[in-house]
Amino acid sequence: MNTQNILQLHPGWMLATGLAAIVLLSWFFWPQKGALAMIKTARATKERVHLEDALKFMFDCEYKNTPCNLNSIAGNLNIKPEKAGTLLERLLEMDLIRMNEQQISLTDTGKSYALRVIRVHRIWERYLADETSVSQTEWHNEACRIEHHVTVEDTEKLAAQMGNPVFDPHGDPIPTPGGDLPVPKGVLLSEIKEGAVGRIIHIEDEPKNIYEQLVVLGLYPGMQVYVIDISENKITFAADGEECTLTPLFASQITVELLSDEQRITQKHELLSALEIGEKAEVTGISANCRGQQRRRLMDLGIVPGSTVTVVMKSASGDPIGYRVMGTTIGIRKNQADHVFVHRKRKKENEYA
Amino acid sequence: MENTNSKREEILAAANAARWDMGDTFHDNIIESIYEDASRIARKVVQQKGEKEAYSFDLKVDKIVTSRWLGFPLMFLLLAVVFWITVAGANYPSALLASLLIDYLHPVLKHAADAIHLPWWLSGVLIDGGYLSMAWVIAVMLPPMAIFFPIFTLLEDLGYLPRVAFNMDSLFRKAGAHGKQALTMSMGFGCNAAGVVAARVIDSPRERLIAIITNNFSLCNGRWPTQILIASIFIGSLVPAQIAGIVSAGAVVSIAVLGIGFSLLVSWSLSKSVLRGEASSFSLELPPYRPPRIWQTLYTSLIDRTLIVLWRALFFAVPAGIVIWLVANVNIGDLSLAEHFINWSNPWALFFGLNGVIILAYIIAIPANEIVIPTILMLTVLSTKLSGIGAGSGVMFELDSVGDTANILHAGGWTLLTGINLMLFSLLHNPCSTTILTIYKETKSMKWTVFSTFMPIALGLIVTFFTTQIWNLFHM
Amino acid sequence: MSTLNNCETCPAHNRANLVKLGLDLSNTDYVLAMAGNPNTGKSTVFNNLTGLRQHTGNWPGKTVSRAEGGFIYNDKRYKVVDLPGTYSLLSTSTDEEVARNFILFGQPDVTVIVVDATRIERNLNLTLQILELTDRAVMCVNLMDEAKRNNLEIDIRALSRELGIPVIPASARRREGMNELLAAIEEVATGKFVCRPHKIKSRSAKLNHAIESIAKQLEEEFPGLPNQNWVALRLLEGDNSIIEALRTGELGSINVAEDQGQS
Repeated sequence: MNTQNILQLHPGWMLATGLAAIVLLSWFFWPQKGALAMIKTARATKERVHLEDALKFMFDCEYKNTPCNLNSIAGNLNIKPEKAGTLLERLLEMDLIRMNEQQISLTDTGKSYALRVIRVHRIWERYLADETSVSQTEWHNEACRIEHHVTVEDTEKLAAQMGNPVFDPHGDPIPTPGGDLPVPKGVLLSEIKEGAVGRIIHIEDEPKNIYEQLVVLGLYPGMQVYVIDISENKITFAADGEECTLTPLFASQITVELLSDEQRITQKHELLSALEIGEKAEVTGISANCRGQQRRRLMDLGIVPGSTVTVVMKSASGDPIGYRVMGTTIGIRKNQADHVFVHRKRKKENEYA
Repeated sequence: MENTNSKREEILAAANAARWDMGDTFHDNIIESIYEDASRIARKVVQQKGEKEAYSFDLKVDKIVTSRWLGFPLMFLLLAVVFWITVAGANYPSALLASLLIDYLHPVLKHAADAIHLPWWLSGVLIDGGYLSMAWVIAVMLPPMAIFFPIFTLLEDLGYLPRVAFNMDSLFRKAGAHGKQALTMSMGFGCNAAGVVAARVIDSPRERLIAIITNNFSLCNGRWPTQILIASIFIGSLVPAQIAGIVSAGAVVSIAVLGIGFSLLVSWSLSKSVLRGEASSFSLELPPYRPPRIWQTLYTSLIDRTLIVLWRALFFAVPAGIVIWLVANVNIGDLSLAEHFINWSNPWALFFGLNGVIILAYIIAIPANEIVIPTILMLTVLSTKLSGIGAGSGVMFELDSVGDTANILHAGGWTLLTGINLMLFSLLHNPCSTTILTIYKETKSMKWTVFSTFMPIALGLIVTFFTTQIWNLFHM
Repeated sequence: MSTLNNCETCPAHNRANLVKLGLDLSNTDYVLAMAGNPNTGKSTVFNNLTGLRQHTGNWPGKTVSRAEGGFIYNDKRYKVVDLPGTYSLLSTSTDEEVARNFILFGQPDVTVIVVDATRIERNLNLTLQILELTDRAVMCVNLMDEAKRNNLEIDIRALSRELGIPVIPASARRREGMNELLAAIEEVATGKFVCRPHKIKSRSAKLNHAIESIAKQLEEEFPGLPNQNWVALRLLEGDNSIIEALRTGELGSINVAEDQGQS
């Protein structure tokens, strides 16, 4: 009872105070949404963000040969045209852009500034896609947030760590530190003929709402497409065996590299995760959506086109599943097995590869 | 020189252009081409004659070990058996070592010091401080480690651990962590520093960091004795003597399971906040079962693990012993430093259902958790001015019988609540200094080291606070 | 099925040639690197040679750092470096980088590749990658006893012919095959056996073309660079340690070390 004398406060009050303190602290420190995070974001210079985004957009227009004017800039940055006007004035002042008549173009300094921002942006997108498992629709936004804050050195370190990637996860080439960029390749899906076969090499990530829907449809760079039918307001094609229909507007967001006949794989495949215990299959490919370390790890373990896989056991909780590949049992999760395409083999009794 | 450098850059530029040209699938092509050659060679040189016997045996065992109904119970049973052997088996050698090093050698050393007329403070610092804490660490830590590590190593040799990770993965996946964290966690039951090092088997940096940060929630060897003693004094005594042993063992196991729970919870909150991301990937080779080689295992686990861990613990325990002796013997005014601190911290420690003695003991015992109990006893005697117990102020001791220890603690104002909170706080507090140092070495990040050090304390204070207040609510 | 020499189990025979040095690494004549997939008994072979007792656990990725040891065989002192077990040298994990950089820049006199006899095909993946890197290697086909238990027959001579390096069957846990392994190591180290390692054949024309064009430029910059094609491939993969080595000119020094070794 000794303790009780010293504790003069009623425990109910204590509990309430304790809870209140926890709520208050988490309100303040909560990552991304907490007060502290809010203050940090608010302090980030708005002007620089807009300047860099405008440069990026103008560069993109020049790269793709699309018109670039005050209104398209305002639209892209989601700001009022008047504000875009002041922004352009500022860019002119800084000698980053040139204006002749209504045509806006980047100066050399402007171009290299833009390329630097783009390099940072795409490396971070690649990093987010390959190493962090941030969801696909968030790569772009997250990278947009990061690109204005990180240093060039940090980004270079990151690039080196990842093996100096040359493409971002949407299929866009990453400029070299010196500002080199290859000429754009491929044709838009909206512009190819019926019966043509190609591979998706790029999916435009802006505007966001269209990109999100393409992601939901399960389209990603690396998929093989076969155009079945083209009419005035829709394009029907098979993507890795699944039939898919898009409007021309949506299809114009997708760039395709045409394939010759020998490169084409027409076979329809099943997923490794769909096999039951005891079933045997030959691996036909790994989805391009399985990236970075994850992909390399799978291949290191022997899951490569041509190898034979047998399902041998399920873990006690049912999710990782054990597969027998080249004489070794390996456990992988269902969401990874979803990325592996296989061709089922007839089951022979009592045989395990 | 200028010229060659530009030539080098030219080569790099050419390589880069070729990469753009070849597209993103080209790494795949390289690996495929290697496998193609490999399989061509393998087909030429390897022939399968008849059935693979060893493999079908493995498959049968795996069917049981990973079965939906038996998988988890089997795992917990095995874990419980390992702990039981460790705890039960360590008792006797621990007592033996304690009587040899403390009851016998300590007085001998003191007499020798007197004989050569060593000043009292020097013999105090060296023998009552440094030597005694070293003796405690050896007596308390060596036997359980010498039992736990070899058993654990045998399981490892057998090939069982990867199956544990295989079964546990779904839990860890839901927490946004890696299935191999189950491996590092079980290593942590032996020693957190070893568990932190073992986190290297996790590829993904994010998930590896999570495994390192949460390893402290595996109740390590140094903390088992504290748990067992407190559980038998405060929880075992609540029930009839016949079942006291089982009940207190149950209490300790629930603390360990609670630790696993916290490990998952913290992993989950980290992966939802600062270390954002889904559980990325998990690939684990499930090696064939191999009969372990008992003698070799005993030898290597003793040399590799036990002695190394013990050495590191001693390295930190000796200075800690000196500090303990000093705080108990250096006086400011009438009271020693220790008493000043205890008097100052008692009032607020009570909010958390702890007391000043426990707080001070945990601060001094950062280097080695093993010396917490002897330090608490010594400080309790010091602060309650009990006489006739122990060997003098600032001298760590542990009593032969649980009953005597209980008497001292009760005299120090301890209740069941204090006991429970001590058990919780022993689970949820900063890692020992060896582990902190290891975390720093492994992460090379001051930020994460500081985080892994203070996060458990904050969690411990929150948990003990709410436990205490809820308890008080019902006992007003 | 090759039969193992019975005599090698008798202690007298072993002691005549082999002196285990443990951690004594002074004045070594040759440097060995031990590479292999995880869980192939690499550490057991290492322990047999050096007399050390590195822990060997039955879970992949047990050896997390580099271990070193030494022995004397036929009056020559050898230093052995046990590299972390990896599935591949092409990914970017730390372990693989440690292993790869040691084989490339550490210039071991012989690289011993330990493979699991029950999983030849899988292990060949790493083996072929190592053979792209170095010309001097010996393969130790470990766990032959397990292979026997599994009714697997391995044509050791054909394997040796295909790979162009000596291949030794062994059961390291029972200390079988260690003597033959030592003899083969000595032959390769002293240059008595000249390896003609297998090089990857099934690459696409486009890739081969890119490799050749870069290898040609490398030849101009670093004449006599031993594994040009491999370096070219790594540059195409954007491997940073190789890019750095190219920028600083460290690539050139590999060449110099090689020359000194042979003169």
